[in-house]
Amino acid sequence: MARLNAIPGVPVLIACLAILLIWDLLSRVVMVSGLPPPWGALQEVPVILTDKESLVNILASLRRMSIGFSLAVAFAVPVGLLMGRSRLVAAFFNPLFMIIYPVPKAALMPIIMLWLGVGEMSKILVIFLGVSLPVIYHSYQGSKAVEEKMLWSAAAMGLGPMARLLRVVFPAALPEIMVGCRTGVVLALITMVTSEMIARQTGIGNIFFNALDMAQYDTVYAMIIVIGILGFLCDWGFEAVRRMLLGWAAPVHDIAVGSA
Amino acid sequence: MATDMIKIAGVSKVYDTTQRGRHVALGDISIDIAEGQFVSILGPSGCGKSTLLYILGGFVEATTGQVLVNGQKVTGPGPDRGPVFQEFALFPWKTVLGNVMYGPLQQGLSKEAATARARELLVLVHLQNYEGFYPKELSGGMKQRVALARTLAYGPKILLMDEPFGALDAYTRTRLQNELLDIWGRDRKTVMFVTHSVEEAVFLSDRVFVMTKSPGHIRKVFDIDLPRPRVRAELLLDRRYQDYVIAIERLMDEQIEEIA
Ligand SMILES: Nc1ncnc2c1ncn2[C@@H]1O[C@H](COP(=O)(O)OP(=O)(O)OP(=O)(O)O)[C@@H](O)[C@H]1O
Ligand SMILES: [Mg+2]
Repeated sequence: MARLNAIPGVPVLIACLAILLIWDLLSRVVMVSGLPPPWGALQEVPVILTDKESLVNILASLRRMSIGFSLAVAFAVPVGLLMGRSRLVAAFFNPLFMIIYPVPKAALMPIIMLWLGVGEMSKILVIFLGVSLPVIYHSYQGSKAVEEKMLWSAAAMGLGPMARLLRVVFPAALPEIMVGCRTGVVLALITMVTSEMIARQTGIGNIFFNALDMAQYDTVYAMIIVIGILGFLCDWGFEAVRRMLLGWAAPVHDIAVGSA
Repeated sequence: MATDMIKIAGVSKVYDTTQRGRHVALGDISIDIAEGQFVSILGPSGCGKSTLLYILGGFVEATTGQVLVNGQKVTGPGPDRGPVFQEFALFPWKTVLGNVMYGPLQQGLSKEAATARARELLVLVHLQNYEGFYPKELSGGMKQRVALARTLAYGPKILLMDEPFGALDAYTRTRLQNELLDIWGRDRKTVMFVTHSVEEAVFLSDRVFVMTKSPGHIRKVFDIDLPRPRVRAELLLDRRYQDYVIAIERLMDEQIEEIA
């Protein structure tokens, strides 16, 4: 076992096989049309991934997701860092975020659609909201935790407040910021799919929920697999980037995924 | 007699805490320190030694009184006063070389010049073989050597050291004391050194200030009239050294009895 564990990818493969077996067993026991055996769904995956229209949909989703995610990070990191260093800024934003935090972002979709219509903007805004909060929260925590003596050492070298924020607080908080971003990537995926459930036109959610409406369960489960793979790839890519950027830091604890 | 480098006139510090109200952290301190002097401060825990050093560094504002450095009123941190903290406060995202180069780069030196300057200092603290290491890869003694080099690198006229060897084992501590005296002997910076160790204070200093319990005043000043360069093995056998240590320890014991 120990030797098997050492080969990269093997534990993942074993886990996937286990899930498929359980799935297969369950489908035989339950015997409802809503839970077909996995093999049909698996065969459907390559079909979806080679179908031009599906690909266009998936790419549209990914595009929205990356735009929403990037905008959120660009907004949330500075806000979180400032909150951590200024009590005034924290006192202003904290209650605001406390109110927004428990609201499921996708539930805001109908209201947002009233403002911005059913197009791209609404979906990007929902993703933006979903990603912003964990990134703000972790940037805030990271920035608050920066050792005061480190800032003093920088001040003695002649760094002003702005330079300290950019060149000391930011890098010092980066490990924590990246924890927030990693949660954010997953949340981006979740809010992306749910927003497409509410405003269907294009996208992964569109394929998924249309198939559900038409009781094409193989496609439904194939889409779940595709979304799962996407999530896995995003997270894996993220981990690679994190490791590259943060070789200097002590390893970060594993994260729990927040609520959407 | 050299001119007074540091004039501390009637400095006190009161913290306004929300839970416990006004808290006097530092009594009324007036000290003059001549250029090139090595001065130590001893006193019971919590008497305000660190606070005094932070005020001198410009990191904390005095409630009353003022500090003059070279005739100029201290209003904030500056590269003329270099701090070295017990907690090292290195930049963890920079290598050893990057940490030591930070100050010179900030002062506008070219990358080549800053690297050369940093390398000189790393030779001085015996870490020339560690320039590519990150702080997390160093021992406590090595970290404090890097911190000292980083501070020396931007050429402060005054060193402010707050229990810099307090977190180190006895052996590393005496080694670093010797190295510090060695380095100090080269250009005789003005040093203000906070410590809990009477031996350390006597071994290093020209003058030792003993403070009262909190809120601290200066209780007594000892002029340490021992020849330099000082060699530890010789001093330990020197009657005068022993007398200083015993006299100061007695004075501090008296205070502890007063508290009890
Ligand atoms: N930020 C702060 N807010 C309120 N009180 C403080 C603060 N910092 C220090 N104090 C108080 O000021 C007093 C002096 O603290 P200081 O750290 O200067 O003592 P010290 O002599 O350096 O002690 P030690 O030898 O243990 O390091 C203490 O009573 C402490 O509780
Ligand atoms: Mg202290």
